Amino acid sequence: MRTVNSTQQYRLAEIRKVFARDQVALDRIVLTVCRGERVALIGPSGAGKTTLFRLLNCTLRPTSGKLWIDDEDVESLNGKDLRRTRSRIGSVYQQHNLVPRLRVIHNVLAGQLGRWATLQSLLSLFKPADVEIARQALQQVGMPEKLLERTDELSGGQQQRVAIARVLVQNPDVILADEPVSSVDPSLASTIVRLLIEISQNRHKTLIVSLHSVDLALAYFPRVIGIKEGRVSFDLETSKITEGMLEDLYSGNFRDHSMTEAISERVQSVAYPSVG
Amino acid sequence: MAQRLQKKDNPDIFLEAPPAPKRGVRFFIAIALLFIILLWAFQGAKIRPGELLEGIPQIGHTLGRMLPPDFSKLTDAKNYFFPEQVSWTELLLPVPLAQAQARSKQRWWNNIFPQTVIGATLETVQMALAGTFMALLVAFPLGFLAARNTTPHPFVYRIVRTLLNLLRTIPDLALGLLFVAAVGLGAFAGTLALAIHTATVLGKLLSESVENIDEGVVEAIRATGAGYTQILSFAVLPQILPDLISFTLYRLETNIRAASVLGLIGAGGIGYLMNTSFRTFQYQEAAAIVLVLIALVMLVDYLSSRLRTLVV
Ligand SMILES: Nc1ncnc2c1ncn2[C@@H]1O[C@H](COP(=O)(O)OP(=O)(O)OP(=O)(O)O)[C@@H](O)[C@H]1O
Ligand SMILES: [Mg+2]
Repeated sequence: MRTVNSTQQYRLAEIRKVFARDQVALDRIVLTVCRGERVALIGPSGAGKTTLFRLLNCTLRPTSGKLWIDDEDVESLNGKDLRRTRSRIGSVYQQHNLVPRLRVIHNVLAGQLGRWATLQSLLSLFKPADVEIARQALQQVGMPEKLLERTDELSGGQQQRVAIARVLVQNPDVILADEPVSSVDPSLASTIVRLLIEISQNRHKTLIVSLHSVDLALAYFPRVIGIKEGRVSFDLETSKITEGMLEDLYSGNFRDHSMTEAISERVQSVAYPSVG
Repeated sequence: MAQRLQKKDNPDIFLEAPPAPKRGVRFFIAIALLFIILLWAFQGAKIRPGELLEGIPQIGHTLGRMLPPDFSKLTDAKNYFFPEQVSWTELLLPVPLAQAQARSKQRWWNNIFPQTVIGATLETVQMALAGTFMALLVAFPLGFLAARNTTPHPFVYRIVRTLLNLLRTIPDLALGLLFVAAVGLGAFAGTLALAIHTATVLGKLLSESVENIDEGVVEAIRATGAGYTQILSFAVLPQILPDLISFTLYRLETNIRAASVLGLIGAGGIGYLMNTSFRTFQYQEAAAIVLVLIALVMLVDYLSSRLRTLVV
């Protein structure tokens, strides 16, 4: 059961995740994250960040090793207990993962699913329950007017804010955001990161965010964890991170480098569209 | 200069063209085999072009006898044998009646009306609607059970899938014969046949649609702490809804056609009347029925395509 006075939100011991065909995604991960902490996760593509997030929000089980959430061993969780634990962890994804054909209000209210009974949630699809809660959440992410719009008609950045509104409605202890800003433009990116930080500060929530942008990680987070090839490469206070460590983290990753170039080319062609 | 370059370039293009595939002995054996198989098939199918040529005037003759179509069976009020004690408004609308009147109304609806062209046409539509709806009720849960990503257990997946695949191989005419033997002649037998056949087809189509959804959405909804039914209704159903609607409408169209054929084996619908007219050499009457059927199919196709663009 949940022990409120515990200070440890997450404890990971020797966590390993191996996918089919011996694909080792995570290897010997040892980590502790305290309540109310704000942590950034960085690392090259394929390092295992997304896999780590899926373990942390209990939608994936580790191959071996132990994971405690609030001093509760996740391995022992099943059925109702597992769902209750999941409902205390809010997730924001890179691809938004919103239900495209539903209106914004339903996507926002999906944050209530852990609390709602089955029948109540079915009825809500016809006549939304808790409209006021949804409206307030959207207000906080700065788009109250989008309540009744169809979700797939919003821009990428707007959809990401809908996802954050869903987390607000869910009101979890932990917020996990897996590359929440890699598909929005740089100025909106820092706005969204600041929004997440603000929410975690005001409501005393643990926040773990993975970021492609090292600058954002260093600028906004007191603690940064570097992940490379499924292992923790460093786990330090931001002030103790050196250029060398970052170079090490991203070195030997030619594929990632060429991808960055391709992306910056694309950004340029967007910034200067050819007229005609 | 440009021209010279072009001249020089041209051969290069041909040089880079891939070499033509070699036609080896195997290729000729394959062709020969195919030829032999086709020859065998044509022999078995008793293809005799000579008789077809001789028969063409006969086809023309029969078509000629169908002209002009005789709509009198459709339009003459006397063909509808309106019972005397009941006015036609009372007959058509659900109004309270005295017992004797109610009985003759019932008799008319059960025995006479389905044997008129309008009655049989309506019955065909009713069979298709009811059969498709019953099929949808069955196929909807089966679709989730038979999809790899939503099945409660791999064992259930295996069982439901096998069952659907087996049942789907039975033609609806065969099912119709089975149900005529079980529940007697008439629309009920035909509707059951349509329902079962359509349920297997819709179940398969829906399960494939479910397997093609965006799993990320499902994971995000699951991560909120949602249970099985909540995940289905919030993450899966909205994604398959367009498919669900268009598959169902498509099957409805197909079932109108199927329902009109089922009449041939006495399982209700307009096929029975058509068959009777042909058998009794009433070709002009048969032509009228065929025209009514064509109009019906076109109307349903049109309506369902309009509906589809509205909803999807
Ligand atoms: N479902 C899966 N099945 C098999 N292999 C997987 C699966 N998910 C991830 N992997 C593998 O695990 C490794 C880590 O992947 P992961 O998605 O966690 O990386 P990431 O750090 O999130 O990368 P990115 O920055 O590109 O999102 C990769 O080699 C990937 O191919
Ligand atoms: Mg990732």
